[in-house]
Amino acid sequence: MQAIFNNIKGDRTIWAIVTLLAVISFLPVYSASTNLVYVVGNGTTLGHLIKHGGLLAVGFGIIYGVHKIPYRYFKGLSILALPLVLGLLAYTLAQGTTIGGANASRWIRIPFVGVSFQTSTLAAIVLLLNVARYLSRIRNEKPRFKDSILPLWMPVFLVLGLILPANFSTTAILFVMVLMVCFLGGYPIKYLLGILGAGLVVFAMFVLTAKAFPGVFPNRVDTWISRIESFTGDNEDASDNYQIEKAKIAIAQGGIVGMGAGKSVMKNFLPQSSSDFIFAIIVEEYGLAGGLVLVFLYLLLLFRIVVVAHKADSVYGKLAVAAVGLPIVFQAFVNMAVAVELFPVTGQTLPLISSGGTSIWMTCVALGVILSVSAKRQESLEQEEEMNEKESNPIAVLSE
Amino acid sequence: MAITEKNISNRLYFVAGCMFLFAMAVVVKLVTIQVVEGDHYKKKAEDSTIRNFVIEPNRGNLYSDDGSLLATSVTRYDVRFDAVTPKQEVFEAHVKALSDSLSLVFGKPSSYYQNLMRKARASKNRYLLLARDLGYTDYLRVSNFPMLDLGPYKGGRIVEQETQREHPLGAIAERSVGWEKFNAETSKYFGVGLERAFGEYLRGKQGRRLKQKIAKGQWKPITDYNEVEPVDGYDVVSTIDINIQDVAHHALLTQLEKYNADHGCVVVMEVETGEVKAISNLGRTKSGTYYERLNYAIGESLEPGSTFKLMSMMAALEDKAVDTSTVIDTENGVLRFYGKAVRDSRRGGYGEITASKVFEVSSNTGVVKVIDEFYGDQPERFVNRIYNIGLNKPLGLPIEGEANPIIPYPNDKDWSGISLQWMAYGYGVELTPLQILSLYNAVANDGEMVKPRLIKEVRQWDQPVKIMEKEVLNPSICSKETVKKLQSMLKNVVEKEHGTGHRLYSPNFSMAGKTGTAQKDYRDKSKLNYISSFVGYFPAEAPKYSCIVVIHEPDKSVGYYGADVSGPVFKSIAHKIYTNSPLIDTVDELNKENKPALKSYEAYYAKVRGSHQAIPDVKGMSGMDAVSLLENLGLQVEVEGQGRVVKQMPKSGVKIEDNKKVVLKLS
Repeated sequence: MQAIFNNIKGDRTIWAIVTLLAVISFLPVYSASTNLVYVVGNGTTLGHLIKHGGLLAVGFGIIYGVHKIPYRYFKGLSILALPLVLGLLAYTLAQGTTIGGANASRWIRIPFVGVSFQTSTLAAIVLLLNVARYLSRIRNEKPRFKDSILPLWMPVFLVLGLILPANFSTTAILFVMVLMVCFLGGYPIKYLLGILGAGLVVFAMFVLTAKAFPGVFPNRVDTWISRIESFTGDNEDASDNYQIEKAKIAIAQGGIVGMGAGKSVMKNFLPQSSSDFIFAIIVEEYGLAGGLVLVFLYLLLLFRIVVVAHKADSVYGKLAVAAVGLPIVFQAFVNMAVAVELFPVTGQTLPLISSGGTSIWMTCVALGVILSVSAKRQESLEQEEEMNEKESNPIAVLSE
Repeated sequence: MAITEKNISNRLYFVAGCMFLFAMAVVVKLVTIQVVEGDHYKKKAEDSTIRNFVIEPNRGNLYSDDGSLLATSVTRYDVRFDAVTPKQEVFEAHVKALSDSLSLVFGKPSSYYQNLMRKARASKNRYLLLARDLGYTDYLRVSNFPMLDLGPYKGGRIVEQETQREHPLGAIAERSVGWEKFNAETSKYFGVGLERAFGEYLRGKQGRRLKQKIAKGQWKPITDYNEVEPVDGYDVVSTIDINIQDVAHHALLTQLEKYNADHGCVVVMEVETGEVKAISNLGRTKSGTYYERLNYAIGESLEPGSTFKLMSMMAALEDKAVDTSTVIDTENGVLRFYGKAVRDSRRGGYGEITASKVFEVSSNTGVVKVIDEFYGDQPERFVNRIYNIGLNKPLGLPIEGEANPIIPYPNDKDWSGISLQWMAYGYGVELTPLQILSLYNAVANDGEMVKPRLIKEVRQWDQPVKIMEKEVLNPSICSKETVKKLQSMLKNVVEKEHGTGHRLYSPNFSMAGKTGTAQKDYRDKSKLNYISSFVGYFPAEAPKYSCIVVIHEPDKSVGYYGADVSGPVFKSIAHKIYTNSPLIDTVDELNKENKPALKSYEAYYAKVRGSHQAIPDVKGMSGMDAVSLLENLGLQVEVEGQGRVVKQMPKSGVKIEDNKKVVLKLS
């Protein structure tokens, strides 16, 4: 134990938050799994609990492994991973697996392991790291739009284009995140606005094409439209309305302290109670108090990410931390926003809490990157201290 | 442009700030849902996920007076088959065996069932009816058939159960037993017959249980207990005698059909106790058949007409206005009061006849004249007589819907100059058939008026909850002399040739009663109709049962006189009861000691008991005794003649040898 503890590097608070979230996640996942077992007739509750524990254990292994990698390696890794990711995305889209009869072509099955894998989550990390890498490379130049098309925007639009047909919300969030990282990296805002405009035009063309020639390629345009309509209230009888209403009933029933662990009623009526709508179930069982604790933990995570980014010893480090860290928090709040009807229904899970399978692992990869950056900082600090001690220069400490 | 690290940090703060605002927006929305919309959604949750389930109580049993089960609740099962659920190999493995089993029990060929199930599977029928209305044992048997024994999820077995009301005696009294249902819209019970009449006891109370919806349209109880426990209904032991009931029902039905009458009722009551042994109410449906409909006998009051003359005669006799032998002029059959005429059914009247005969021929003018002359200036004295008996009050039956009698009093607003006279022969007053019967029953019961009872006992399991004892409404409605006179007049109605009920006369059994042929809707001549009734008791001398028959609106072209329409029902009931319960002649002398026989038996017994080495002396014994005695000793006996033994060969005292021959001479 002590050995493990000594080997753990990086921001201890982030480790603590992640561990806390992981431990907390067992309660709602176990409770909501009755829905899967009883309604869908899928597995046993204990089975789901063990599976969740297994996923988390592997996730922690991933964090540990990734955070041991010096973060400068991520530059090269992200370049190498990009073609692989594009290939996987194309393959995913082409095969069009449905999972549990629910969703469209977002997953591929990993052979032998028997776990399904949402490729877009991996793609997001790789893409964002690439963006961070590119921006850090050009940090001393005045970037010209022309020059950035090929190294920056081409991969972005390739990845987004491959994710879009099956998963609009992930595409949109990823797009926003890319724009955010560009903004952080000092990419000129006027170009960003242009890119945003271009993105909207491309999206509009995609929607119109899909509407004009339905069935030409796999897409979920109709789902998006109905979701937007149900959000704006034009489409009263849509199934999303049903979901949202049940989520709001769950939240209302929770009250201040909730109905108690496992006593959620609405978990039986929310189809995605253990993943997309888990926040509603948490509030129902643990009340406003439980919900606020969760919000607080994610805000704390945001704070620590900002701190790590702030303290990172290079531009790439800063941008990489922001690029992979902010999406985690952003996704968490999007998930909550859906449950409280601040956002249209999307398929975003609550990071580290939802029993979203491999999406946990990708979150772990991102956390590993953050911790790696933070660990490097610690290392260099220690080295400096050592050097300072050798040189016994007391002023160097003050300069810190 | 050259981005500096500080620049990046500042921008990062900005982005993080935005996210913080986003998080705050989520929190604000969260609180809004809980506080502002909270009640709305909580109510929605309750509406959609919590429901009060009604638990039906078990309805009590209904018994006849001798404890036979008239009606009981039984659970019946329908077994259906979900032809889609079983896997292909399971279906193929068992379909043949299941068909064979079904064929064995329900008779249709095995191939029929196999076809049925294969067809259902092909057409994806998930609700194929295999057997309906099974009893519990049959249901168990069928559910253990191949494939079905795999249960609902593997074998596709669907079982639906429902509580049915069964009549173990079948058609006998089934109509009279009737039924009761609950109308959820009006939350009222409705129905017919005894089930309806005793509904209050039989029903029980519904229980309630809060359940919460869980997925798949299933509900789970929220608590371990029921919010309201159901209370099972009580068992009711009625006073109904199924045999009399059956007779009464069919006799009434026959007459209703013969006269195509609108409706009718019959009530048979035990004179001494007031127990209603039979009650039947039949009304014509649109299709012309008759069904137990409304409880006419209890709920429908009517102008009794001539049957009310008993009351008039009782009053007149009590007040010594007349005696049975007083001669009364029937005034050529017409009597006018304020321009309104009272007419006799025989034109020209009956001349001058005795008061007794006035009653027996049912002379309207005669009765009216007696009442008018005596009570004309003191009508309240007459009405008081009726009130004192208690006829103005309902009987107070423990059954819903008893109609109130209407008997006007002289200071009432609508009391007129002819009210008394019309009342004298049964108009302007209204009584239910059961109330009229109570009056006649009181006369049959020597003046003691008992309350009619339909229920003997109300029980919970085997514990009596309420025992209905005989209840005396009026210990003596009039003097003993008057009762005797009335009884003899009622007997004469049937017995005497001039009596209106003489057509019912039978020399084999005696009946007493009064006919009634009341006009109905007489204010409009075009609608004029009749209510034919007969009320009386039998046997005339020692009344056991009283009975009233009322038939409304018989077809006038077939007949409408009480004696013709209703009388036969009365007669056949009386007849059937007589043949079913023959009079018992008690013979006191049967066990008287016959001294000579006893003496000869004792002598014989003494000889039998004694041990014999030698032939006993049997002289003087009867031949039969002697033979049995000797043969039991191993001797062969030859008998000559009849009577007692006068000579025996060989003589007594000779040693007994096996198969030795003894000759007896009898004379």
